[in-house]
Amino acid sequence: MIPELGQLALTFSFALSLLLGIVPLYGSYTGNERALMLGKPLALAAALFAGLAFVALAYAFYTDDFTVINVASNSSSVLPWYYKLTATWGSHEGSMVLWVWILTLWTAAVALFSKQLPLLMQGRILGIMGWIGVGFIAFSLFMSNAFERSLPYFPVEGNDLNPLLQDFGMIIHPPLLYMGYVGFAVSFAFAIAALLSGKFDSTWARWARPWTLAAWMFLTLGIMLGSWWAYKELGWGGWWFWDPVENASFMPWLVGTALIHTLAVTEKRGTFKSWTVLLALATFSLSLMGAFLVRSGVLVSVHSFATDPSRGMFLLVFLLIVIGGSLLLYGLRMRSVRSQARYQLFSREVMLWGNNVFMLTATLVVFLGTLLPLFHQELGLGTISIGEPFFNAMFFYLTIPFSLLLGLGPWVRWKQQKWQPLIPPLAMIAVAALIVAVGLMAATQSVQANVALIGLLLGAWVGMSALGEVGQRIRQFGQGLAGIRKLSASHYGMTTAHIGFAVMVIGIAMTTTYSVERDVRMQVGDTVTLSGYEFTLLDLYKLDGPNFGGEAADLKVERDGRFITNLHAEKRFYTIQRTVMTEAAIHARLSRDLYVSLGEALPGDAWSFKVQVKPFVRWIWLGGLLMAIGATWSLLDVRYRRKVLRRAAAPSGDDQSDAKKELAHA
Amino acid sequence: MRKWLFFAPLAIFLGVSVFLFTGLFSDPWTRDSALLNRPLPEFDLPDLMQPEQRWNRELLTGEPFLLSVWGVWCPTCKAQLGFMTELKEQGVKVVGLYYPLPVDPAFGDHFSLGQLQRDVQRELAYFGNPYQFNILDENRRLSLDLGVSGSPETFLVDANGKIRMHHVGDINPRVWRQKFEPAFEQLQQVGLAYQGAQP
Repeated sequence: MIPELGQLALTFSFALSLLLGIVPLYGSYTGNERALMLGKPLALAAALFAGLAFVALAYAFYTDDFTVINVASNSSSVLPWYYKLTATWGSHEGSMVLWVWILTLWTAAVALFSKQLPLLMQGRILGIMGWIGVGFIAFSLFMSNAFERSLPYFPVEGNDLNPLLQDFGMIIHPPLLYMGYVGFAVSFAFAIAALLSGKFDSTWARWARPWTLAAWMFLTLGIMLGSWWAYKELGWGGWWFWDPVENASFMPWLVGTALIHTLAVTEKRGTFKSWTVLLALATFSLSLMGAFLVRSGVLVSVHSFATDPSRGMFLLVFLLIVIGGSLLLYGLRMRSVRSQARYQLFSREVMLWGNNVFMLTATLVVFLGTLLPLFHQELGLGTISIGEPFFNAMFFYLTIPFSLLLGLGPWVRWKQQKWQPLIPPLAMIAVAALIVAVGLMAATQSVQANVALIGLLLGAWVGMSALGEVGQRIRQFGQGLAGIRKLSASHYGMTTAHIGFAVMVIGIAMTTTYSVERDVRMQVGDTVTLSGYEFTLLDLYKLDGPNFGGEAADLKVERDGRFITNLHAEKRFYTIQRTVMTEAAIHARLSRDLYVSLGEALPGDAWSFKVQVKPFVRWIWLGGLLMAIGATWSLLDVRYRRKVLRRAAAPSGDDQSDAKKELAHA
Repeated sequence: MRKWLFFAPLAIFLGVSVFLFTGLFSDPWTRDSALLNRPLPEFDLPDLMQPEQRWNRELLTGEPFLLSVWGVWCPTCKAQLGFMTELKEQGVKVVGLYYPLPVDPAFGDHFSLGQLQRDVQRELAYFGNPYQFNILDENRRLSLDLGVSGSPETFLVDANGKIRMHHVGDINPRVWRQKFEPAFEQLQQVGLAYQGAQP
């Protein structure tokens, strides 16, 4: 009964989204205020029913309702309860329901938190979100029904959840990732609404900015968690694989990063208008394209869901309508736009333009690397594969000029900047960065001229320049605490995110250069030494888990005779899915990870072990976390809240003055 | 000119979608195989467990079978052993083509046959043994001729020794039901007729 109710709720949500797509848009063209006002209740109701559908599905999983095909093939009665719940989004069908729910939640959020928007604009945005919802709910209902039953014959036991997904990281990775993907639908809707209205002043950019930041923040966290999960769960210590599905999430992230930077230019300076609209369209388009690549089976990946050409066909038609339609509208409407660009070559506008050049080059690299094998094959040139070396080399060369620019960018003023005043502080920072980089290297490794040194130099340059810049701004605003308080939250956010980038660059450079690993054969009592750490195998024994068996190993780690930690590594054999999983033992510190994974059983009561020491690997995720914190900090900026109050008091007309004030502020 | 520039994104997108469209209808797991509907390549190779027994193409004709390329070093191959053993119990003939991997390339291409036999036996005892016998691809020549790109790979060979189907990735219930089973049953009918025709 409950699954049927779930399906019914999803159908209601479909109907409500359809109404949301029609009524407010109708209102926006006829000026019918009542039709426009209906947008909010419709959006809220659609979210409510989509939420009910999700809860119904989760309930079916929780209660082991194996009459539902989706439950039977992705869960089992021996699964711990929390994995039963996460199995809800472990399959293609279930994840679509989650996706739809998150989409309707974003729509509802726009309806709730857009009081400062003119009603007309709000109606357009909600209408566009409604149509996107219609497309995805239709896909879920008609092409991948999560509630389908297999009555009257149903299995008494389920097929179990893919063991790879039985992990804490997996519990929150997909929801965060979807929050990011789908969140860009909001910036997309803002851009389309601007295109429909034909008004490209800086207002739409200001409204779209917090939403874009929020979506970007979620996407950043989602990607970080995915990387951390892969590191922990795949058992060989890699943290990024350039897998097509990872790339599919990385492309919207790169373009989204470019977008949050140009939105600033469009908001504050009123230039880059057509470019910003195009980026907003592209970010969501790439999210959709990612969904298509993952769910159609066009590309082969460890993440791919079951492939089905009819699903792929549906998504492709959806892509053509959404992306093709929006780009057509863009081409038609953009002819008339003129930017009044008045800035010098050395100005913040040009710095941010530089950011865009790098971000889009990086996107192009990922795009080509991901899709070139497909093009190649479809052109009849045979199968090729583009792997890590290509991506790594390209990103290495892109990171160097990008980091140099990133260290310089925040110092430069809008419109024009003279060289001379920047030279003393930047020279000091460059010297300090050199000292810090070499010092850090001397403290952890021996000093050598290698990739790690380049990474450290770039990281120190970006990080110290960000700190120096924020310090300088604070001093400009006043003495001590007064200055600290006066500087805007979005400025602190930016600085934090840039430091995050610096931390990540250092992490990547150090890990790739100094990680060491050994494959060894060990018996109980054996000791192996790796970069000064002595790993001793204490015990080997059989495992007995709820839905798995296997072997476990206990190790002791010492350094210079001093006890460091105990490690516990497992090799699990999941009995229902007949899959072997490696549970690596990890001892994490800021300066290094110790990573031990069990290999194969060898004759003579021995096992093969992979032992790794990975310096600075935590910094990679720490950097990502800092970027997300930076985005959140920016979101807290009073600018985004104050406007609500002011606009409530004075309904319209202070856009211009507002923009001017901010100009003066910057 | 500037006007038309704004249509460039649309043009690029449409160009990409043509590829996405054609990509939909070519399954990347099955692309290849120049070998389909061709006879198995010639070979003369020892049995893994009893090296004095040698196998060649002619000895394998007579009934349809699955030729499964695998090795103990391949985790996915382990995962499919359980299900393939069930298939064997249902009467499907499975022949293994063992693809040896030296434990450490630094030691050259040598591997100890005795050690390998023990490893294989241990693994098959633990996960299930679907194989009627295993052919040892000593110098990996046959795998090369078959165009094996990764393990596990499975070929469906008919009673005449012709390759009828090729699959990259593990054999699981879904793959078997959707891909192999219909073809296999048909070949079995043909195979029986073929045997009937032989005096």
